[in-house]
Amino acid sequence: MAGFDLLMQGLVAAMDPMLLLYALIGVTLGTAVGVLPGIGPALTVALLLPVTYGLDPAGSLIMFAGIYYGGMYGGSTTSILLNTPGESASIITALEGNKMARAGRGGPALATAAIGSFVAGLIATLLLAFLAPSVVKIAIAFGPRDYFALMVLAFVTVSSAFGDSTRKGLISLFVGLSLALVGIDQLSGQARLAYGVPQLLDGIEVTTLAVAMFALGEALFVAGQGGPGEAKVIAVKGSVWMTRKDWARSWKPWLRGTALGFPIGAMPAGGAEIGTFLSYATEKRLTKHPEEFGNGAIEGVAGPEAANNASAAGTLVPLLTLGLPTSATAAIMLAGFQQFGLQPGPLLFATNPDLVWSLIASLLIANAMLLVLNLPLIGLWVRLLTIPRPWLYAGILVFATLGTIGANPSPVELFMLLCFGVMGYLMRLYGFPIAPVVVGLILGPMAEQQLRRALSISQGDLTTLVASPVSAVLLALAFLALVVPMVLRMRGKGQVLTQLAADED
Amino acid sequence: MSGFNPSQRRPDGVALVTAAALGAVAVLIWTDAARLPQDAGYSGVGPADVPRWIAGCLGGLALWSLVAAFREAPEAPPRQAWGPVLWIVAGLLAQLVLLQPVGFSVATGLLFACTARGFGKRNLMVTVPVGIVFALAIHLVFAGLLKLSLPAGPLENLFLGG
Amino acid sequence: MKHTLFAGLVAAALAVPAYAGDYMIMAPAAPGGGWDQTARTMQEVLGAEGISGSVQVQNVPGAGGTVGLAQFVSQNAGKGDQLIVGGYVMVGAILTNASPVSLADVTPIARLTGEYEAIVVPASSPIQNIGELVEALKADPGAVSWAGGSAGGTDHIAVGLLAKAAGVDPTKINYIAYSGGGEALAAILGSQVTAGISGLGEFKAQADAGTLRILAVTSEERIEGVDAPTLKEAGLDVVLQNWRMVAAAPGISADQKAAILADVEKMVNSASWQTALETKGWANTYLAGDAFQAQLDADIASTETILKDIGLVK
Repeated sequence: MAGFDLLMQGLVAAMDPMLLLYALIGVTLGTAVGVLPGIGPALTVALLLPVTYGLDPAGSLIMFAGIYYGGMYGGSTTSILLNTPGESASIITALEGNKMARAGRGGPALATAAIGSFVAGLIATLLLAFLAPSVVKIAIAFGPRDYFALMVLAFVTVSSAFGDSTRKGLISLFVGLSLALVGIDQLSGQARLAYGVPQLLDGIEVTTLAVAMFALGEALFVAGQGGPGEAKVIAVKGSVWMTRKDWARSWKPWLRGTALGFPIGAMPAGGAEIGTFLSYATEKRLTKHPEEFGNGAIEGVAGPEAANNASAAGTLVPLLTLGLPTSATAAIMLAGFQQFGLQPGPLLFATNPDLVWSLIASLLIANAMLLVLNLPLIGLWVRLLTIPRPWLYAGILVFATLGTIGANPSPVELFMLLCFGVMGYLMRLYGFPIAPVVVGLILGPMAEQQLRRALSISQGDLTTLVASPVSAVLLALAFLALVVPMVLRMRGKGQVLTQLAADED
Repeated sequence: MSGFNPSQRRPDGVALVTAAALGAVAVLIWTDAARLPQDAGYSGVGPADVPRWIAGCLGGLALWSLVAAFREAPEAPPRQAWGPVLWIVAGLLAQLVLLQPVGFSVATGLLFACTARGFGKRNLMVTVPVGIVFALAIHLVFAGLLKLSLPAGPLENLFLGG
Repeated sequence: MKHTLFAGLVAAALAVPAYAGDYMIMAPAAPGGGWDQTARTMQEVLGAEGISGSVQVQNVPGAGGTVGLAQFVSQNAGKGDQLIVGGYVMVGAILTNASPVSLADVTPIARLTGEYEAIVVPASSPIQNIGELVEALKADPGAVSWAGGSAGGTDHIAVGLLAKAAGVDPTKINYIAYSGGGEALAAILGSQVTAGISGLGEFKAQADAGTLRILAVTSEERIEGVDAPTLKEAGLDVVLQNWRMVAAAPGISADQKAAILADVEKMVNSASWQTALETKGWANTYLAGDAFQAQLDADIASTETILKDIGLVK
């Protein structure tokens, strides 16, 4: 296979000490900026891309790959340790990861995230290398109705996976869906709920909401909980490393996360988040330790983090083969590729095979370099938690607002940040889960648009929604996911009731 | 309900407020949707339909919360000190208001100091200068080196050669 | 648009360090988009050619450029060193968003670049030429679904104009809006829709690879390197250019306007501007002063009519 030879050549070429040094610099810079709370991979890559300009193509490509992986991993680090995700795809990682960190298990959480990222990145990059042209054919066959069915499946599985109270989980989800309505309706051009404020016409930015609800909400909540000298955080309890049991509980979620993340990331309208949502829901279903979910289950970190990285590699499929950037990070990567003379599109694999293979070789090297750099650093990262709280949280807030100001220095945007921060605080205070709000904001518009597109194409014929095999299967799965737990619960309830009756006897 | 539940406990205030808020949002969305032209095109689902569905569901959740307020035992009210929270909110407001007139560093420095105050560092004489220097350093790295466009004031211009 | 956020920081990094500027150019969009790139390119060229000692770019994103436009108009009246970049998309956005300020509130200087629209079908489509597409549209407008950019944008307007020219009721077109050219492209390639419409640049690579068939372009004359007729040749009187322009502040004096015009002309004629256009693949459609003003007025009038016809503006 010609591809394999080229890949090997690329890997051998990349073993040059100078190139390895560039990879190391890239990973270090990417991690250093990505680790700042509230600053996600997209911003990290955009900010650091210019650093690569001075180098020769091979050097800049490999440094770029390093920045990319470093930025992604740095983002997860802060999500886990400080509960301040800078982008929507690492929200799910924060969910369980932060609980682990609070229990002094930040080390294993970071390790399973790092190794999971590596495994997922490795598998997904190889899939990208050898299957991209055929994967993309399947991906573009996904029409609006199939996407709609996928969204329905995501809604059903995700909303059942959050929180203890169904009522509160649903309220959070619908708050997100309501926020998603704000702005110009893309299909009709009508402004909804904007009340004449021009800044609202573009809708509510997901990153603003995520940073506000997580970073600000968290800071307010922690501040309100106690005065000075209150309960010191335990940075490390037990081993910093993963135990045998952690490994045993992690490897399957890594593989499942990869299997979910890569194909969904490869779809032109899939997005990186949905894979993480589905992975979390899957792990929660399959785990042998359901009681740990919500209190720091390692599967809940391993799966979504692997899914996140696999879908990031997945987004490269439409990017390289069609020239379609399907995420914020991908859009910036497109700008980067063009700088390196790589013109993504249908002819790329045919006309520039050497560049494609050296890119893929660079991704593999950077991925490995990330692991080399970050595993030893885990002990250092968890020390972040020992910074005195006033300084730590003051710093978090500075960086969280920096991300927003850098994207859009409008007072309206900052005001929204403040409002959502207070909302996130109140929701935390009264036991409403936060993640479903962001999930609603992301999935809501996608589901609505795909539904209306599907119906528009079929001219209002509702049967179109189940007419394709893919949509029919996905909707059937969604139906099962909704009904089976209900049936089980009802039977369970029956048992409990009989037990109660028995107790009374 | 009254028949076999003689204990006269107070309804759950949080659930009541939630119900009221959800109801209000539902009404808001519904009235906004009513204003939109019902132009469904070929899909049969127009711009106002999905908002209506969501408003309907919000109404349902409001009712559920109302019922829950009277049925379920109220959860223990969380203990919260409001002072620190207000300090941080004030810091964010200060940054919002001052960002354009005085620039990133001073506005963000105040946010830094207010947050530190919320977490117990009371001495503003120390925290404000520390915050401003910290924010200025960030400004120099991100705006100066990495070319992120951040609002600049007199202080930044002093360093960036304005 | 949101997806390209920050991509333009890349361009920003290449620019000369900022001093207090002779010109301040507002890009009423997030970094990375076409307007931002135009502003950054102007910044580079004005600096490199020594036309202006220092130029700063300011991004004010939102609502098809109308947020930036409103701020520009309210803050800069009479200032001769303030410029704003804009484009045809703004014309439609001002109307659909019922923006309180319009392009009549600024002083248009010149049209700089432009791109024509292309109408495509997937290679597997039975439709071979624009005539067959129009026939299908006439027979049953609902059965012909069009994928393109956001509702009320250039792509939507082009389909409306085409339908009108073909004698089909523009309110009856089955237009399916996607968030960007990319997502629409995937839908077209996957044969989810009958036809697609967007800027020629979005489709060029796919057409060269043989996965898409370009049926027609919206230019006045045939475009070099594109094997497709114009709509005019096909008997449909539709010419539409998605142009980008530069405008100055409201209420500036004739002298101030003349000075800006001279600087912009110098910039457009410079070698580095030509190189920049070539590397970015932009067509030079420079048109200045009164001729541009007349063209702008005509575009605004025809856009308002067609948006009313489609039913997007009341």
